[in-house]
Amino acid sequence: MSTVDVESEVTGNVWKIEMAVGDRVKAEDVIMILESMKMEIPVEAECAGTIVKILVKEEDAVEEDQVVAVIEAD
Amino acid sequence: MKAAVLREQNKPLVIEDVQVSKPGPREVLVRPVAAGVCHSDLHFMNGSYPYMLPTILGHESAGIVEEVGADVTYVKKGDHVITCLSAFCGHCDKCLTGHMALCSAPELSREGTEQPRLHQESKPIHQFLNLSSFAELMLIHEHALVKIREDMPMDRAALIGCSTTTGVGAVFHTAGVEPGSSIAVIGCGGVGLAAVNGAAIAGARQIIAIDMVDAKLELAKMLGATHTINAGSSNAVGEVQQLTSGGCDYSFEAIGLKATAEQAFQMLGAGGTATVIGMIPVGTMVEVHGPDLLSEKKLQGSNMGSNRFRVDMPRFVDFYLSGKLHLDEVISKHIRLEDVNDALEALKTGQEARHVIMFDQ
Repeated sequence: MSTVDVESEVTGNVWKIEMAVGDRVKAEDVIMILESMKMEIPVEAECAGTIVKILVKEEDAVEEDQVVAVIEAD
Repeated sequence: MKAAVLREQNKPLVIEDVQVSKPGPREVLVRPVAAGVCHSDLHFMNGSYPYMLPTILGHESAGIVEEVGADVTYVKKGDHVITCLSAFCGHCDKCLTGHMALCSAPELSREGTEQPRLHQESKPIHQFLNLSSFAELMLIHEHALVKIREDMPMDRAALIGCSTTTGVGAVFHTAGVEPGSSIAVIGCGGVGLAAVNGAAIAGARQIIAIDMVDAKLELAKMLGATHTINAGSSNAVGEVQQLTSGGCDYSFEAIGLKATAEQAFQMLGAGGTATVIGMIPVGTMVEVHGPDLLSEKKLQGSNMGSNRFRVDMPRFVDFYLSGKLHLDEVISKHIRLEDVNDALEALKTGQEARHVIMFDQ
C-alpha cells in the first residue's frame, strides 16, 4: 500500500473538516474546506483509499502546498 | 426561486429551482433587481479558482430588501441596497485597523450545524462569496450590503457592487494615486475601465489604457484615458516608457495573467507602484527582475479595491449621479437570468464590457 499526501492549493484557514481518520474516500471527495479571502476552497482526495492522517484542525492557518492529510491508496 | 447553478466546472450554468432559508438574526433577504456578469465568475466556472460545488455564481448586484432578521437594525424592508462580497465582522484585527476588505471571519457564513442559506430539499447549495446573485433571492449577512439612495438606477448600482469598487478602489485606496501622476491600466474590461475612470477622478495627468480590442480602447477614452495602446500591435511596455519619459508612476493590471502582471512592473518608472487587480490562476508564480527593486519599484495586490464599501459605495453613487463616474457606457447589454451562459461566453471573447441581468419584479 502506498500513501498519498493531500496538499492545500492555496494559503488560507481551515473552515470545515468534512472527514475523519479511517474514513474511506474516492477521488475528488471533499476532505476539508478552506476559507481564503471569502472563497470556500475544497481540498479533495486525489485517489481512492483510506484517510490515515489529518494534520490540521478547524481554524488552523495553512500555506500553499502544505500537506493537510494523508491517504493510504487502494 | 429560480437560480443559475454551477454543478460542474467548464459546464454551462443550469437554471434550477432552489430553496432559500428564512433570515437568521443578522441576515437580510434581498430581492435582486440587477446583477452584473463579471469575469471573476468565469474564473470559478472554468476552475482556475476551485470552489465548492454546486454553487450559484454572481457577486455584483443591487436590489431591494425583502425581509430582515430579528437583530438587524441597519436596513428595513423596501430599502435599496448594493451587495458586496467584502462582508466584514467589524471586530477582528483587519476590520479594526481599517482593512475590512481583508476580513476573513467565519461568522459571516452559517455554521455547519445550521440549515444552509441555500438548498434543494436537504442538499446544500454552496453560497458563492457570501452572495450568490444569479438568483431571484439572496440571503446574506447584514454586513454584506450597503444602503443607497433610491434615485440611483439599479443596473448602474449593481456595477458598483464589484467592478467599480474594485477598479476605482485600487486607484484611490490600494495605490493612493496622487493628482498629477502618470498611470497605465492593462486590460479594459469592467474593472480596468473603472480604474481609468478612477484615475481621472483622482486627477492623474496621464492615463494610458492598454487592451487588444480597439472598441474597448475607445470606451477608455470616453472614461478619461489620455492615451491608448493596442497591445496586439505594439510593445506596451516600451510605449508606456516612451509616453511617460522613462516609466509611469502607477500601473494597474486588470486581467489576471502572469505576463501582464510582469509587464505592469516593467513599465514603471523609478519609485513606481504596480497594482495587480486581476485574479491570477492558482499555482501561477509572478517574476520580477531583482535589480529593478533597487529603484524602489513596488508590486502589490489589491483585493476588491481595498474597500470600506459602506463608506465607498454611497460616494460612488454620488459620483455617478454628479456625472463623474461613467457607468452608462460600460453596460453593453441587459439580459435575463436564462441568458447568463451567453453572457459568460461573451466574456471569454473579451469583446464586450459588461452584461447585466435584469430580474422580473
